[in-house]
Amino acid sequence: MSEHQERIDLDAPLSGDFQAVVRLIIGGIAERVDFAFEEIDDLQLAVERLLAEAGQVGSVHLSFEVGERGIRAHVGPLSESAVADALHDGDVQPGHLTLRRILQTVVDSFGVEESGDGRIVVRLEKLKGMA
Amino acid sequence: MPERARGEDRELLRRYHRDGDTAAREELIQRHLPLVRSLARRYAGRGEALEDIEQVGAIGLIKAIDRFELEREVSLATYATPNVVGEIKRHFRDKGWAIRVPRALQELNAAMSGAIERLTGRLGRSPSIAEIAEELKTTPEEVIEAMEVGSAYSTVSLSAGPGGEEELDPLETIGDEDVEFERSEHRAALEPMLDRLAPREREILRMRFEEGLPQTQIAHRVGLSQMHVSRLIRKSLSTMREEMLRAPPGASA
Repeated sequence: MSEHQERIDLDAPLSGDFQAVVRLIIGGIAERVDFAFEEIDDLQLAVERLLAEAGQVGSVHLSFEVGERGIRAHVGPLSESAVADALHDGDVQPGHLTLRRILQTVVDSFGVEESGDGRIVVRLEKLKGMA
Repeated sequence: MPERARGEDRELLRRYHRDGDTAAREELIQRHLPLVRSLARRYAGRGEALEDIEQVGAIGLIKAIDRFELEREVSLATYATPNVVGEIKRHFRDKGWAIRVPRALQELNAAMSGAIERLTGRLGRSPSIAEIAEELKTTPEEVIEAMEVGSAYSTVSLSAGPGGEEELDPLETIGDEDVEFERSEHRAALEPMLDRLAPREREILRMRFEEGLPQTQIAHRVGLSQMHVSRLIRKSLSTMREEMLRAPPGASA
């Protein structure tokens, strides 16, 4: 997914009260790309699970790059080591439900990027028509 | 209810309560689901999808079957009716749904489930928001808002009942694979909390994250709407996360 013409940036509190707002915004952005209902739900779930692992204190930056083929999201910096541990897991074996497996299922690719201060930024990529 | 049907009910109740015949219990549930649907329809149009109300009502039916005493002179249908209605009323009361959400959005949310099913059948794929909006003669923005309304409330676990883990859910079919799913030795992140979920929720998670099935196929398999499956997945993951945070260190599974 190389072409990204539009970008939306958002700072949101990590407390649960604002997760619904984040979901709403993701829904609005994904609709512009003409995502299917299920694809929107997948991207919302990916971000929701990431934020749940990141704790309830402080805020998080979310950016969404919108292209013709899909959406690339960056979530972070996240300081919770649980997030990194869960994502750096090796191959997930059948029957194990980890954050890594959840993301493997609901987005087309994801990765961890260092933010430079010891924290991490998670990249999520969801393509249109791949569900 | 015809006398013959009452007699058959009584024989099934006897087999279940005296002999522990769970197949008889299942048959009783199936025989009386039309009653649940009929009662659930009275509560339609209040912002909750009819199928959701029916499933809540089914919990009342199961409780009635489990609590029925063979010495009672009343028919099962008579005994079950207040249980079903009570369960539905409690569901609405507990959610406080009707108070917080604008009626137009409630109605749109309730209509969305059917629209998605129709469109999925017609298009052979999950519909876009624009297609759902067109089907419901509204705007994409309102559809997105209504989606959020639907995800904002917690869905009752339909497997929850007075009998704990032994209880059967009439709407679920749990295969042998579930055993394998639970048997994993490795413990990481959410996985130890899987057994805190009802069997049907575990099976839905297994289908989604192990088989990799899309929600539409899962919905078809378990006989629920795609929206309901979506809510159950989110709710289950949140529940597992909350349980994990509550559990004392080392207390997995």
